[in-house]
Amino acid sequence: MQPLVQLRKHLATGFAMPFKHREVAGKVLVTNTEGDFLLLEGDEFAAFARGDVAKGTDLYERLASRNFVRAEVDERRMVERLRARKRFLSWGPNLHIVVVTLRCNETCVYCHASRADMDATHTDMSPAVADRTVDQIFATTSPDVTIEFQGGEPLVAFDVVKRIVERARQKNETAGKRLEFTMVSNLSLMDEEKLAWLVENKVQICTSIDGPEHLHDKQRKLLVRGPDGKSAAGSAHAEATRWIRRLNEAYAKMGLDPTLYHVEALLTTTRDALPRWKEIVDTYVDLGCRALFLRPVDPFGFADKTAPRVEYPRAEYLAFYRSAVDYMIELNARGVEILERFAAIFLTKILGGEDPNFLDVRSPCGAGIGQVAYNYDGKVFTCDEGRMLHEMGDDTFLLGEVAGGGEAPRGAAAPDGAVRRRYREMMGHETVRALAIASNLDAQPDCVNCTYQPYCGVCPVHNHKTQGSIFGRMRESTLCAVHKGIQDYLFERIGTGDPHVLRVFQQWTTVRDRTHFLQTCAT
Amino acid sequence: MIELRLHRELYRGECVDEAMKALGAYAAFERAEEPAHWVVRVTAASPERERRVAGELGNRALGLTVKRGGA
Amino acid sequence: MDALPPDLVSIDLAARAVSLRVDASLYPVGAVYAAAYVFLDRCYVLLDRPDAAHVRVSLSWKKGDPPAGALEALAGEFANELLSCAWRARIAEESRAVIEATTARALSGAMGAPSLDDLESFQFGDEAFEDPLGIAMSWEEKYGKQKKEAAK
Repeated sequence: MQPLVQLRKHLATGFAMPFKHREVAGKVLVTNTEGDFLLLEGDEFAAFARGDVAKGTDLYERLASRNFVRAEVDERRMVERLRARKRFLSWGPNLHIVVVTLRCNETCVYCHASRADMDATHTDMSPAVADRTVDQIFATTSPDVTIEFQGGEPLVAFDVVKRIVERARQKNETAGKRLEFTMVSNLSLMDEEKLAWLVENKVQICTSIDGPEHLHDKQRKLLVRGPDGKSAAGSAHAEATRWIRRLNEAYAKMGLDPTLYHVEALLTTTRDALPRWKEIVDTYVDLGCRALFLRPVDPFGFADKTAPRVEYPRAEYLAFYRSAVDYMIELNARGVEILERFAAIFLTKILGGEDPNFLDVRSPCGAGIGQVAYNYDGKVFTCDEGRMLHEMGDDTFLLGEVAGGGEAPRGAAAPDGAVRRRYREMMGHETVRALAIASNLDAQPDCVNCTYQPYCGVCPVHNHKTQGSIFGRMRESTLCAVHKGIQDYLFERIGTGDPHVLRVFQQWTTVRDRTHFLQTCAT
Repeated sequence: MIELRLHRELYRGECVDEAMKALGAYAAFERAEEPAHWVVRVTAASPERERRVAGELGNRALGLTVKRGGA
Repeated sequence: MDALPPDLVSIDLAARAVSLRVDASLYPVGAVYAAAYVFLDRCYVLLDRPDAAHVRVSLSWKKGDPPAGALEALAGEFANELLSCAWRARIAEESRAVIEATTARALSGAMGAPSLDDLESFQFGDEAFEDPLGIAMSWEEKYGKQKKEAAK
């Protein structure tokens, strides 16, 4: 293929709309500002770059239909597509992560939450902080509110969870938001009473499954108290899978569609997981999960210290990713419904032209303006990663302390010096502003010229941790390598034209609303 | 004694002064002015300490200068 | 030191430092400041002007002796950061309008309209405020005099 640098002298600026290009599996991917794309053969791309495409030809029609031809540009389509991609800018944070305790009964090798031991009761959220947190959450301008309970292990502070759910429901009677609750739990402290309450109160459950039992239990240590009162090693995997099945049974008993209503699970991909992609996918399928999120390990919390044991070059992760997703596509051909979450997020943007508002992969990112993290002590952060850095001693992403509905005086300093701030002050905080600029791909070297810019996102907190500034350098970013690698893979598969693959990918962009979990108002 | 030479086109004088004030407990400073540089002579209990204090002073003066938009 | 050009980068092992000679026409001083700031936590950074066309950046190892290759790596990373900062400054200049529009939309969307409590601390007064674009001027104030002069 002729290098573009040789074509530059022929570039007819009158023919093409601005585009970016990248070689993917022997073809040339071109994208435009609003995220339309085409995969061209080498000679097609050369003709396009030269402006040497005759009207009425198949290539001309394909280019024109996707707004690549200046003379045929449909401005209204361009505006509509851009608007659809940036719709999330119109409102504030919809995701509110509430860390109800740092206490946890499991020790995970990659823990990024900096968990505390079970006797650290001072890390439980107090009722007063819980109330102020709920009040502040409902000041959001977003019509959608998801309160996500995290820890530590949130089941340790179940009373706090219940208090927040009840208060949030009361607030919502006047606020009228589309309110949902989710909980990220290891499930090992679940019992029938808690299960009944969570199911009755429509709290969606998400857990971690690292794959087959031997892998999961190697990475996630659970100590249980035996009949003799002594601690002994339990099986975190057995506990999690037991309660996944129980919860799924409970949903089915309520008459809910099991393909839509079931416990979701997440994977943290460690070095030990890399050769086990097939076992991992099979484990999720056996558990009735319909989605698998192949997340690479991140640099926060304990993962930073245990990196020598768990980390790996991103090229190895991408090889794992390709094998796992190839296998999932194959399973779909056999009628097994299983999707990969990262792929679904990107495909919704690529094929659907919509933004699924996944806060870590959008421009600007969701730090502050899309999500907020409330720590057990009332401190508020731009995002969960920012909170994790605080637990590691870095307060760069601290916005202040939750002021709540107004009974606490604004601007008052808490005993440890954190300033109480209300919602609007936090949204206008200089850190939130800085992150909105730093995560804007229109302002970012490399991203500004990247073919994947319409679909992608950066994490300023990840940049800060790994490279020393919120802007970062994408060529050296492991996160950029992951995003590029996944999108290369997806476009490679799209480029084969395989109708089964395209059908599966389209299915993965279809979002079926889980309306059962919407909290309805009393009126 | 270490002599730190901070170029006037790159460092604000007031920022150099503030840095000296902040680190006053760790070393003795003597300030001089040359046409192109702010000069700070750093004297401390040991050569390594002088190096450290001079380095921290330079960093602090630079950080303050950057925060204020440059020299 | 094979990877880095010797006329631009020099190592002083005794001083535990590496220096870079930066062309001021390629890297505006704002970019030098931005890159230098990123490294303040990791090393001692000293800027100087050997001549009008250059800035010298010296990076000194903070504690102990640097491991083998560490100073070269530091210089290489600084050079990358400097390039990134220089390019970012240019992008910001070229794309200022779209960056401002997105940021303003994102923040106003998140903040929403002010409440009465929020406005409590706002200074409503008759004192003059800065109005570089003349937005607060009436049409007559802005154009009336020019119309009269044009008529003459």
